[in-house]
Amino acid sequence: MTTVIDVQHLTKQYKDKTALDDVSLTIEKDTIYGLLGRNGAGKTTLMSILTAQNFATSGQAHLFGEAPYENADVLSRICFVRESQRYPDDATATHAFKAARLFFRNWDQELADRLIDDFQLPMKTTIKKLSRGQLSAVGVIIGLASRAEITFFDEPYLGLDAVARQIFYDRLLQDYAEHPRTIILSSHLIDEVASLIEKVIVIDNGRILLHEDTDALRGRASTVIGDAAKIEAWADGREVLHRESLGRVASVTVLGHLSDADRAAIAAADLDLAPVSLQQLIVRLTQNAAHPESTTSTMAGEAR
Amino acid sequence: MSRTLNVVRLQLINKNTFIWVPLIVLGGAMLVSVLIYAMIPGDDPKYGGGGQAPLWVFFSVGLTAMTLTFPFSQAISITRREFFIGTMLSAVLGSAFMGVLLLIGGGIELLTNGYGVNGWMFHLPWLWEAGPLGAFIVYFTLALFFFVVGFTGATVYKRWGATVLTIASIVIALVLVGIAFLVTRLELWGQVGQTFGQLGALGLALWGLVVTVALMGLSFLAFRRATP
Repeated sequence: MTTVIDVQHLTKQYKDKTALDDVSLTIEKDTIYGLLGRNGAGKTTLMSILTAQNFATSGQAHLFGEAPYENADVLSRICFVRESQRYPDDATATHAFKAARLFFRNWDQELADRLIDDFQLPMKTTIKKLSRGQLSAVGVIIGLASRAEITFFDEPYLGLDAVARQIFYDRLLQDYAEHPRTIILSSHLIDEVASLIEKVIVIDNGRILLHEDTDALRGRASTVIGDAAKIEAWADGREVLHRESLGRVASVTVLGHLSDADRAAIAAADLDLAPVSLQQLIVRLTQNAAHPESTTSTMAGEAR
Repeated sequence: MSRTLNVVRLQLINKNTFIWVPLIVLGGAMLVSVLIYAMIPGDDPKYGGGGQAPLWVFFSVGLTAMTLTFPFSQAISITRREFFIGTMLSAVLGSAFMGVLLLIGGGIELLTNGYGVNGWMFHLPWLWEAGPLGAFIVYFTLALFFFVVGFTGATVYKRWGATVLTIASIVIALVLVGIAFLVTRLELWGQVGQTFGQLGALGLALWGLVVTVALMGLSFLAFRRATP
């Protein structure tokens, strides 16, 4: 695999807050990453520094082997539309897309037109008068139609309804299949993007807690469903991440890889294996990392 | 280079701010001035400063170029240098447009003998001393100066916050007052007046252009590390 982003010991210190704390990571070509974390964890700061929109206090970031600051060659190959993106005062979506077309070499107007249609975006209204969801749609369209080699999406779903969010996910996967590129999608709706992302980066309090293949991460836990009493017996002595019950049926999510003996026991007890919720797993793992002393009885239900 | 020129096209998205608002302000100022001139009795020529009204618009044009268009330029992957040079080019074009408007306004006043009421807001004798080109340069310089002041102020605000901007403004005001105090103390006002008279509007404007370009340089230094 080719590395497209190389981050070394990146730290961003604000007056009273360390937004990024000695972050090092590499991002590979043609992969969809989920940059997950709570609000204020450092997601936007990290993406801003990688795209030279903001400056690190110390450390370096290289894209395609070069520093991005004032580097038109690098910048023209990447795209980062912020969640709180501002636009020129009189600009309509038409203006914004025309301008974007001037600066992105791979801009696909046909794709932009299709997306405008999909999102039913009003083209003659000034952007400052658009709704929150329509504003997000403008950013999503610039991000997708720019077909930049590295595209950052910063919580692109804000204000979008369920239908519009699904359109975004579908179009993203569709276009990615035809034009592979590196996509970094920041989100706190973990389960919603779980099927999209190939790799997971979890950031909390400015530190990278987790950087792993989504499938490998899923393998770190298992969910078992079945008769409540049998489930209790089976889960006894295991590290339980999550528990749910509905009448006589219960499910538990336990940490750890299942052995063949485990699987045989599950089958023998008439229990079933179910997919693990990435959200519960990540919340649990990040809580453990943040407070290693916390007990397993704490529920992970407050995940957002 | 083409990317820098494309920044000019990006800035001119703001047709309202760059063209229509100055035109509306200009039209409004003209209308008000003419009405007032018409009310003043007497046949002497009447002069007013309404012609400078649209120049002030350039202050806010410079301001929004920084606060709104700059963040968007970052989203579409423009470097700060490209953005700065392109934006200043747009300001030069806009200021030249204002200069042409002044010439047209002056022409109208000459043709109509001050809107038929002997009232003048563009064709002021002092301004036109050095001919139409001189008047153009005065107007151009003023518009550009206001733009750069607005842009620089917004840059300082974005980089260091409201407190620093306020303190900087106070320091500049104090320095100007200090100079005025020295001139008064040393009883130099006569000489100052004489120098201004000798320079004329064009000479002052050319010095203003020097100041504007110097301010642009300072602005660029502050802007290089600005964040959207």
